[in-house]
Amino acid sequence: MSEIKSLPSPDNPEEALAAVVALRHMAEQLERQAVKEAIAQGWSWSKVAEALGVSKQAAHKRHAANIAKPITKK
Amino acid sequence: MFKRIMLRFRDMKTVSSLISGAEEQANMSGEEKPGAEHYVLSALNLDDGSARRVFEAAGIDAQQFREALKQQYVEALSSIGVSSEAIDGTPESIEPNTKLHNSQPSGQALMKSLYAIKQGDKARPLLGAHVIRVAAEMEYGVVARAFRVMGVNREQLVALANNECG
Repeated sequence: MSEIKSLPSPDNPEEALAAVVALRHMAEQLERQAVKEAIAQGWSWSKVAEALGVSKQAAHKRHAANIAKPITKK
Repeated sequence: MFKRIMLRFRDMKTVSSLISGAEEQANMSGEEKPGAEHYVLSALNLDDGSARRVFEAAGIDAQQFREALKQQYVEALSSIGVSSEAIDGTPESIEPNTKLHNSQPSGQALMKSLYAIKQGDKARPLLGAHVIRVAAEMEYGVVARAFRVMGVNREQLVALANNECG
């Protein structure tokens, strides 16, 4: 992933807000993939939570239901 | 009176199918809560077929809408110099949350508008075309951007949906 080079023009707040929505969407997808991979590699929920900067309960609540499924490699 | 009760029963069934379908579409896209875009996709699957007819009249289909949803994310990220490479491909679906039924704010806004339509017209049934109309009236957000990617004029889509709703 490349670095953020510039913000959209200040004249175009719609584009900037759409970028925020897209980043949020991308972050959620990445978080899900990363947590699944970490658990598959034997990480504990405490370790995952610490790395994400959230509580163990929050990490477990958010991701546990999807962990049982096998990881599909792209 | 009996007709009114039957209509209400039918609308309740439509709303239930719409919500469960939207949740399914969101989960298939790897999202927990449905947004307006997932309600549109769900409406296209409703038995009444009116949403599909509106899309057909506009020269688009569900698959094109799905592709446009992805494309608008790619374009939005690209506008700040971020590559969407990391999330390329089809997102992995997630397990449905059977305990909590909740929508993203855009989904809530869409349902609120649908409710307002029904309050104003209690004599006719709620249709998938109503969902398309309400979604097409949204000026900003993921759905509006997806329609723009497809080259669809939202006002024209609203007019087509109104035709279908009668």
